[in-house]
Amino acid sequence: MWDYLSQHIYDDFILKDRYMYLVKGLGNTLLITVGALLIGVLLGVLIALVRIAYNNGVKSPVMRVLNAFCGLYLTVIRGTPMVVQLMIMYFAIWKSGRPVPVAIVSFGINSGAYVAEVIRSGIQSVDRGQTEAGRSLGLSAKDTMIRIILPQAFKNVAPAIFNEFIALLKETSVAGYVGIQDLTKGGDIIRSQTYDAFPPLIAVALIYLVMVIGLTSILGVIERRMAKSDLR
Amino acid sequence: MISVKNLHKTFNNLAGPVEVLKGIDIEIDQGEKVVVIGPSGSGKSTFLRCLNLLETPTSGEIWFDGQQINVPGVDIDKVRSHMGMVFQHFNLFPHLTVRENITLAPTLLKLQTKEEANANAERLLTRIGLLDKIESYPSQISGGQKQRIAIVRALAMNPKVMLFDEPTSALDPEMVGEVLEVMKELAEEGMTMVVVTHEMGFAREVGTRVVFVDEGVIKEENTPAEFFDHPQNPRLQDFLSKVL
Repeated sequence: MWDYLSQHIYDDFILKDRYMYLVKGLGNTLLITVGALLIGVLLGVLIALVRIAYNNGVKSPVMRVLNAFCGLYLTVIRGTPMVVQLMIMYFAIWKSGRPVPVAIVSFGINSGAYVAEVIRSGIQSVDRGQTEAGRSLGLSAKDTMIRIILPQAFKNVAPAIFNEFIALLKETSVAGYVGIQDLTKGGDIIRSQTYDAFPPLIAVALIYLVMVIGLTSILGVIERRMAKSDLR
Repeated sequence: MISVKNLHKTFNNLAGPVEVLKGIDIEIDQGEKVVVIGPSGSGKSTFLRCLNLLETPTSGEIWFDGQQINVPGVDIDKVRSHMGMVFQHFNLFPHLTVRENITLAPTLLKLQTKEEANANAERLLTRIGLLDKIESYPSQISGGQKQRIAIVRALAMNPKVMLFDEPTSALDPEMVGEVLEVMKELAEEGMTMVVVTHEMGFAREVGTRVVFVDEGVIKEENTPAEFFDHPQNPRLQDFLSKVL
């Protein structure tokens, strides 16, 4: 039994350096996740600000167009599957693009829609009096938002944002659809070479699990640090 | 210093428009301590919030320092930096320490260097006896301490006038005194103040003029002695008989 198992593990990972499929795959998975994360947060904050400004009565023609565009974006992105968006982006819109950058942009655009709603709820959770206090001191609307509202908003929604990061990390497992060798695809390639499914796929699952546990514990550290101002 | 002409304010609620201010006229001179009293819903807070345009007047004129401020093109941030405001619920910034609460605006607006702002914060905190709280967060101090620090935060901008919106209404009774004491000292130093409050003792002792707002208009204004001892308006007589 043990000999049988170790033989499989040897064939799946050691022989012909097959573990490198997982290592390289992990690299792509992380690259796509981090890149998409940056785009997603940036996009999310911008969209949240547009929607909040519009709801607070800034209704110039430009804002009307922007707000309508943001509404459309949220509806389309949240209403269609990620993998379909990825394929449309790679096979129909950005045909000449290299797969990884296309995936980063595509996952970023997708993530932005979810982050936007989280950030918006975070901003709206901050008491109106905070804005009034900032503005009454002579701070501009922009300074008040950046120095007073957003730090409190981020703190309130940190768990929800992290959940979005974790979801994004796992969601990148569909990158294989556009020919990217990510972690999942790496495990799948090993399976197709050795006709042995269990060890490589379990290894892939374990790596995702460890990363998610790592992210969760990082969230714990961040939350404790941000709770500094809550100590009584 | 502040001049209000025929100020109207209508809120458009779900139930329809509500006219809260129905034509307020008042002149406030340098060094005056104007105390505004009145029943809840009378519009006294809305009036105060119109002075620094936290509420936009529906019509009428607000003048500050010889300049009409409720017209397009006015740098309202600049105007507000000269008008300190203290809120009922303190509105300290919970994510910043007491020091950062006080120094944020003066340094961000480049009115003071970091060193100047810090020295200023320490001087002001020493005056109210809270220097030891300078590195604390707002959640770690009492309501009375929060409100005194909120006053200091506004003072750090060296304002020309201070607006107080029911500064003691959210405090435990035992903490009201310490906040009024700080306001009293401020008044003695000659600060121009507009105070919306239910503290009749403060109005009588510190105010140079008391204004009774009811149903969106000023029903009576007078010196504290005349105001409290010989009220003319029947609505004011009724109000005073209930609160004194």
